[in-house]
Amino acid sequence: MFKSIAYVIKENINNLYRIFCIAKYELLADMRDSRFGLFWNFASPTIQVFTYWLVFGIGMNRKGYDGVSYLPWAIVGFSVWWFIQPCITNGCSAVFSKINVITKMKFPVSILPATVVLKEFFNHLFMMIIAFVVVIAFGFYPNLYWLGIIYYAFCTFMFAEALALITSVLTMLWRDVKKFVVSMMRMLLYLSPILWPAAFSKKNWTFMTYILKLNPIYYLVTGYRDSLLFGKPITAHPVMALYFWCLVIILFAVGSVLMYRFKRKMIDMI
Amino acid sequence: MNNNENQKEYAVEMHHVSKIYRLKKAGKESRPDDRYYALRNLSLKVEKGDVVGILGTNGSGKSTMALVLAGIADCDEGSLTVNGEQALISINTGLNAQLTGEENINVKGALLGLSKKRIDEIKEEVIEFAELGDFLYQPVKKYSSGMKSRLGFSISLALDPDIFIVDEALSVGDKGFANKCLERMEQLRDEKNKTIFFISHSLQQVSEFCKTGLWLDAGELMEFGDIDEVCEHYSDYIDRYNGLKNADKKKERDEKFAKRLIHVEKLTLWERIKRVVKG
Repeated sequence: MFKSIAYVIKENINNLYRIFCIAKYELLADMRDSRFGLFWNFASPTIQVFTYWLVFGIGMNRKGYDGVSYLPWAIVGFSVWWFIQPCITNGCSAVFSKINVITKMKFPVSILPATVVLKEFFNHLFMMIIAFVVVIAFGFYPNLYWLGIIYYAFCTFMFAEALALITSVLTMLWRDVKKFVVSMMRMLLYLSPILWPAAFSKKNWTFMTYILKLNPIYYLVTGYRDSLLFGKPITAHPVMALYFWCLVIILFAVGSVLMYRFKRKMIDMI
Repeated sequence: MNNNENQKEYAVEMHHVSKIYRLKKAGKESRPDDRYYALRNLSLKVEKGDVVGILGTNGSGKSTMALVLAGIADCDEGSLTVNGEQALISINTGLNAQLTGEENINVKGALLGLSKKRIDEIKEEVIEFAELGDFLYQPVKKYSSGMKSRLGFSISLALDPDIFIVDEALSVGDKGFANKCLERMEQLRDEKNKTIFFISHSLQQVSEFCKTGLWLDAGELMEFGDIDEVCEHYSDYIDRYNGLKNADKKKERDEKFAKRLIHVEKLTLWERIKRVVKG
């Protein structure tokens, strides 16, 4: 097991430039597809946030949570979600979508999940600009706690990478894995504290709140909000942090073992 | 390096190498998938600096051979030792149609694992060799297919492995470009003493370029030796085959196919899981 973890880490570190280039040019190619390119990176999240704000903030009259209005509260959550969601769905096809490459040249397969996550991370940076603008407009000014999002972005990156390692290999074994994951995404959105705080107050249902905290995205979203809105340091949730990192390490270990085991067999699984 | 003349250094050593593919069964039969020998029991040794032409009809396992040699696919039986780094020259792989020719040099260069410095070094040469001219800043989707192949091939040539594997690379582009590529490959062969595996349907190209011939038929090694002899036997075989009547051709094909097939006994689910876990 340690051999496979070392192998995956080593291969990724040796190929940092390769990962960076692939992510960069994939992003560039995406933008070239359309006439306005970069504009859509800002426009489509803005439109979505506007929709949710209209429905939940205005229509259902949510006043916001913990003394923060609904729009800045939700947009911070969404900026995390739009990082994780494409990471998870595209992570499934990280290897599959590059089949023409891995069958035609000698290629370090284990770096593919990282390229997908890095590409989404670039998109995440655009999204963060929107989030910053909104948050500042609502009177939350930059302070030292904001640096916490660097740590939480790193957490998100590692979680997405670990998960993509697993799902990308599993998708090669059974294509259905991707279909399954994609159809679970909507559920995951509502089981994470993005549109609502994911807390059950109804009698006999409070246990659900604890179960929802087992969702690693809970830690990430809470962390982003702590840093940007509530001014809490990154050490605010030691137990959740411990749980989160244990989970990431386990996922990463499982992903590495799968990757190591099947790296040379991918070509037979097309 | 061992100076002892009896002990030559081998670039590739194959011992009883087989590659088995799985065939999907037709319909809903409950028996397990059949296996199929793509390569069967190949044993050979290739010296460093040798130029091997791989011959064979369609479906005889040439491309599988290239994949196994390049280390992209694992062999299922036997052992394969490769001394040195190998690279499969692939033409259209890794080009992104949305991006310009110049950007694609970066993309494919990075995919091949070249460093940023190395990519900058080769850029001039690639542009020159691929004869892109004013199309350099056009998206690749606007290129003609010949131009695309030229670009792809030139980037691949920038690699500096010890062992080159060229699978049908020269059948793209016009004659002028094919000759240019061949010249470059001859340069690699003569000046840098690279080991080259060369797959082509053009008997003439193979016999001019290679030193050693390797004839695959139905996944099995028919002959391995001096290029002229192998070419001669191979073309005799082709002539004989083409001289056959259609019915006989079909019969021969079916016989070969049956020989490569392996029927597998049915496994229970548990046995299959155990097999996956063990590898």
